[in-house]
Amino acid sequence: MGKIKIIAEREFNERVRKKSFIITTILMPIAFVAIMFVPALMMNISSDEKKEIIVVDQSGMVGERLQDDGQMMFSLSDKGFDTLKEENNEVFGILVIGEDVATNPSNVQLFTYESSTINIESAITEQVRNIIEAEKLKQYNIDDLDRILGEIKTPVSLQVKQLNESGEAKDSSAILNIALAYVFGFLIYMFVFLYGNMVMQGVIEEKSSKVMEVMVSSVKPFQLMMGKILGIAAVAITQFMIWVVFILVVGAGAMSLLGGDELLAAAQASAAMDPAMASMSGAEMSIDKDAAALINTITDPGYLVRILGGFLLYFVGGYLLYAAMFAAVGSAVDNEKDTNNLQLPITIPLILALFVMMSAMQEPNGPLAVWFSMIPFTSPIVMMVRLPYGMPDGFWISVLLLYGTFLAMVWLAGKIYRVGVFMYGKKPTLGELLKWARYKS
Amino acid sequence: MEVFLKIENITKQFAGHTALDDVSLEVPRGCVYGLLGPNGAGKTTLIRIINHITAPDKGRVWFNGHPLSPADVANIGYLPEERGLYKTMKVGEQALYFAQLKGLSKAEATARLKKWFVKFGIEGWWNKKVSELSKGMAQKVQFIVTVLHEPQLLIFDEPFSGFDPINANLLKNEILELRDKGATVIFSTHNMASVEEVCDHITLINKSKNILSGSLDEVRRSHGGNIFEVDFRGDKESLVGALAGLPCGLLDESLIADEDKENHSERALKIHIERDEDVRSVVEVINNTVQLRTFREVIPSMNDIFIQAVAKHSAK
Repeated sequence: MGKIKIIAEREFNERVRKKSFIITTILMPIAFVAIMFVPALMMNISSDEKKEIIVVDQSGMVGERLQDDGQMMFSLSDKGFDTLKEENNEVFGILVIGEDVATNPSNVQLFTYESSTINIESAITEQVRNIIEAEKLKQYNIDDLDRILGEIKTPVSLQVKQLNESGEAKDSSAILNIALAYVFGFLIYMFVFLYGNMVMQGVIEEKSSKVMEVMVSSVKPFQLMMGKILGIAAVAITQFMIWVVFILVVGAGAMSLLGGDELLAAAQASAAMDPAMASMSGAEMSIDKDAAALINTITDPGYLVRILGGFLLYFVGGYLLYAAMFAAVGSAVDNEKDTNNLQLPITIPLILALFVMMSAMQEPNGPLAVWFSMIPFTSPIVMMVRLPYGMPDGFWISVLLLYGTFLAMVWLAGKIYRVGVFMYGKKPTLGELLKWARYKS
Repeated sequence: MEVFLKIENITKQFAGHTALDDVSLEVPRGCVYGLLGPNGAGKTTLIRIINHITAPDKGRVWFNGHPLSPADVANIGYLPEERGLYKTMKVGEQALYFAQLKGLSKAEATARLKKWFVKFGIEGWWNKKVSELSKGMAQKVQFIVTVLHEPQLLIFDEPFSGFDPINANLLKNEILELRDKGATVIFSTHNMASVEEVCDHITLINKSKNILSGSLDEVRRSHGGNIFEVDFRGDKESLVGALAGLPCGLLDESLIADEDKENHSERALKIHIERDEDVRSVVEVINNTVQLRTFREVIPSMNDIFIQAVAKHSAK
């Protein structure tokens, strides 16, 4: 145990003192925010530019009632479609509404000069449908139609409260739940990859520089492997803690500068990027109402402990499990180029977990989420989706499975490692790796 | 002779081939023991078994009178043939790290390291990065790290590779000094000249088997074939005539020396005396016939013995 500690200390000191550690510590949060939020912000920016659409209305019913919105600008034209087409106006497109549109609703055509988007298409469809429906309703000659319609309109605002075991109702913020699940799941994915790779590279470096040969007479290969894994884990936790402090400071600063609403809007836009999330967050969700729920949720200590505690448990467990696998792969090769094939069994479950996490957001306690949050290779990422919605069933079983699998994996990886570090000039297959594990010491 | 390390019928197989086949040997305490053999003979496997890195399939290792246990590794210093240092670490820090892994406290390790650095004239390297060192420089650091914890057993695998003659000599003297202080040294090399210089005992391993063991003198003598060189002044013909009736044979090649030494009126003969007890009577006859200048046994070099023994064993 003493030797593992000495090794872990070296790994930690060497890495933390490096310039690259300081640089990644600064750049990673920026990159992370960029990956997660910039596309959402970009979508907002690009929608500011309005698309001009010339309307050729043969029905005489729809055209003048089309309304400009955030993304489109309509202009009626008396000219025929053929003339307009030849004029080659610098517009987004030409909307042709057929004479019989009331009876033949598919006689609406949009010709565009550039590729159209789902947003524009659905907005046009929506407008045309509303106009025709209103027109049809008018034909029933109901008195006071406008007043009746006005009275019928009912803006429903759903108040979501989550009941805990003692029957207390608490505000539940879907947006926050989704955002946290997304951020934490993604963080685990990134950390496991990044730091797992660091373990692998470290092992390859020791092997190719023959330091390993000197080391094995003073320490067991297993101690060498565990020391490395734990030392790098300490680096990861240190880096994470720096970020937590950093985020708290920046977050507090941003809140006071921008106000909560704008941040929320950005978060919501980001969540809406994913179609799965969009269906949950919904377009009608009121930001004000959600802000209240958000603040109530985030100040709930039980919620925080569950989310952060769960995150740390799975973050460490997931890293340990995958780091052991990365170490075994590193021990088997002479240089990094040879790792590609061997890394597949590591990367596939990781990427699978990320995809499952995305779809599990629709149904955080559905069978998909539940099963994959039990399988140790995917649970660290997938469980992040379930955590915000209350203590998940089988949470501790999943944690036990994860750490149990980690121990089994370390044992297996140690056996491979022990053989692998003395194998040079070989490009082993996965099958050979497993065969090594069966060698006697 | 007190045995420090005893290898007892060790067999080790890897998938497809046998690395060691029923190998036994005894390393006396306080000697330099040469472990010789062609590439791939099984030397490194044997060293790894002694270092508790791998375990034998069969057989046992006795260390200082008890069966080898993992704890004994702290009493072994091993300088492997393939060796390296962390390139980005500083020399001093790295030496400290290895010393701590060998169980030395930080303070103790620092004190001893300073002493060795002064001894080798490398005090100025403490804060240098390993990547700035030449190969020979790095080897010096590795040597220090190997012996720093003052182990009872030292294993050097090709310790002189990468050294210039001056530093190789420095290292050789250090190894002999460590032996004189009581350490037992196992020395594996292909450089037979250095074997003759430093080894007290040797074992030759070929194709996983121990084919030759013994003290250096014994081995060399036993391979001598009882050939003696006779330098003399006087008439060659009469000496050849006088020797004709004795239990010894003249070797053809010995006559060549005759021509070269004509001017000095000094001649040489190589003769073969089959039985040791006949040596005295032969010398007596020579002494009576010519003026005897030198009479000595021709001892083959380790290089010849190595090649001969391996060729003979491989032919079987």
